[in-house]
Amino acid sequence: MGSPIPVLKASNVQSDFLRNIDFKVSEGEIITLIGPSGAGKSSLLKLLNRLADPESGQIFFYNKNIKEYKIEQLRKRIGMVFQSSSLFEGTVEDNLKFGPSLFNEWKHEEGEKLLEIVKLPSDFLSKDVRELSGGEQQRVAFARTLANRPEVLLLDEVTSALDVKNVEVIEQFIKGIVSREVKAVLMVTHDIKQAKRLGDRTFFMCNREIVEQGDTRRLLTDPQSRRLQAFLKE
Amino acid sequence: MAPEISNLSMFFLIFFVLIPVSLSYLYSLGLSGSILWSSFRGIVQLFLIGYILTYLFSLEPLTGITIMLTVMILVAAFHASKKGAGIPYVRPITLCIIVIIEIFVLAIWLGFQMISFQPDQVIPMSGMVLGNSMVAIGLALERMKSEFKEGEGKITAALALGAKPEQASKILVRKIVKASMIPNVDGLKTIGLVQLPGMMTGLILGGVAPIEAIRFQIVISLSIFASVSLSAMFVTIIFYRFFFNENQQMIKIEEN
Repeated sequence: MGSPIPVLKASNVQSDFLRNIDFKVSEGEIITLIGPSGAGKSSLLKLLNRLADPESGQIFFYNKNIKEYKIEQLRKRIGMVFQSSSLFEGTVEDNLKFGPSLFNEWKHEEGEKLLEIVKLPSDFLSKDVRELSGGEQQRVAFARTLANRPEVLLLDEVTSALDVKNVEVIEQFIKGIVSREVKAVLMVTHDIKQAKRLGDRTFFMCNREIVEQGDTRRLLTDPQSRRLQAFLKE
Repeated sequence: MAPEISNLSMFFLIFFVLIPVSLSYLYSLGLSGSILWSSFRGIVQLFLIGYILTYLFSLEPLTGITIMLTVMILVAAFHASKKGAGIPYVRPITLCIIVIIEIFVLAIWLGFQMISFQPDQVIPMSGMVLGNSMVAIGLALERMKSEFKEGEGKITAALALGAKPEQASKILVRKIVKASMIPNVDGLKTIGLVQLPGMMTGLILGGVAPIEAIRFQIVISLSIFASVSLSAMFVTIIFYRFFFNENQQMIKIEEN
């Protein structure tokens, strides 16, 4: 029996912000991306759901080039949550149904289930998003992305602006959804401890390329490259 | 009989110019030169346009109206499109929008015999509609650029959820159209209560009975309202696409 098909695979990807990007992500994995600011971490995530395109190289989603998918379908299947919650004007429910409504898939009862996943009470559905705290807004942003039932979740520094309590809730929920709701998570973080807590594998990016990648504990306790050694000392 | 203002009376308008000049001098505002120059320039421009209009009114209606409308439309399109610097094809598209609006408004006015096809009616009325459309298009273009810049996060979030550019833009388009229409909605609510509108004032001074003057004012006010709304709508439904590439990715509009 051959090795299982990777959920995502990048092969020699180059762009203005990235060079020589090669990696595979398997089902059930949480990948954390660490590295200094400007290393290309967020740019890499944006290539995976085609919010940007590389100049050369190929990216595969279940062994099919992502350019062969219909863009809207690809973005539905590879969901993304950003550092800023970027909620739309209106109620929590307006936000949750935005994605599914584009594909005529919204059912009102879904709303309560989604809020349960992100540990918010069901009466939040009718709340105006302006009434929510920063942590609550970010949880709604998560639920909004999950409403599309994505298979891969891209998280771009989603906890960097949150307090400890909200960070804990979101970390628990990320651990909980892998395998159950989504097949894989790629998460950009500036917090090395968070990478340790969550990452099965970690990519260390520096100067627009992946310098080192591997098992998170091994990578963070026994770094091979000088750049990662220097980064961990900072 | 329309009242006339003699040259001597006009000369004493100098008092109205001297007041801001004195204030500028008193408070060291450094505006005296600008005030004098803009007052002089304004007077010369108005006299010039007065002579041009007198000439155009003496021509065959079709000739006079065509010449003046062409000039007004070109100037309006040029000025409105300046606010959209950096957006591809902004000048020709703005010109098309203004032409369509003018044709639409003229068709209603002439089709339902609200005015006659005479230069002294079509030119001033069109001037008011075109002037307001020019401002509305400029505002909508300016607003669109700033909303797309400030709302980049929300649009990117919408695209990431699977929205097509037109669906993602809807979040901002509503705001832009609403912002462009609100001044007119508010203006119509208080029309005649705070100040008599310019056109009505002009007609009354020209000897037209107030009850007749208001009919023209209603025609022009509602025409302006419609043209401003159409301007904002056309701008948003046409120009949003230039903020995205063919792969449904947001692109930045750089000013030239």
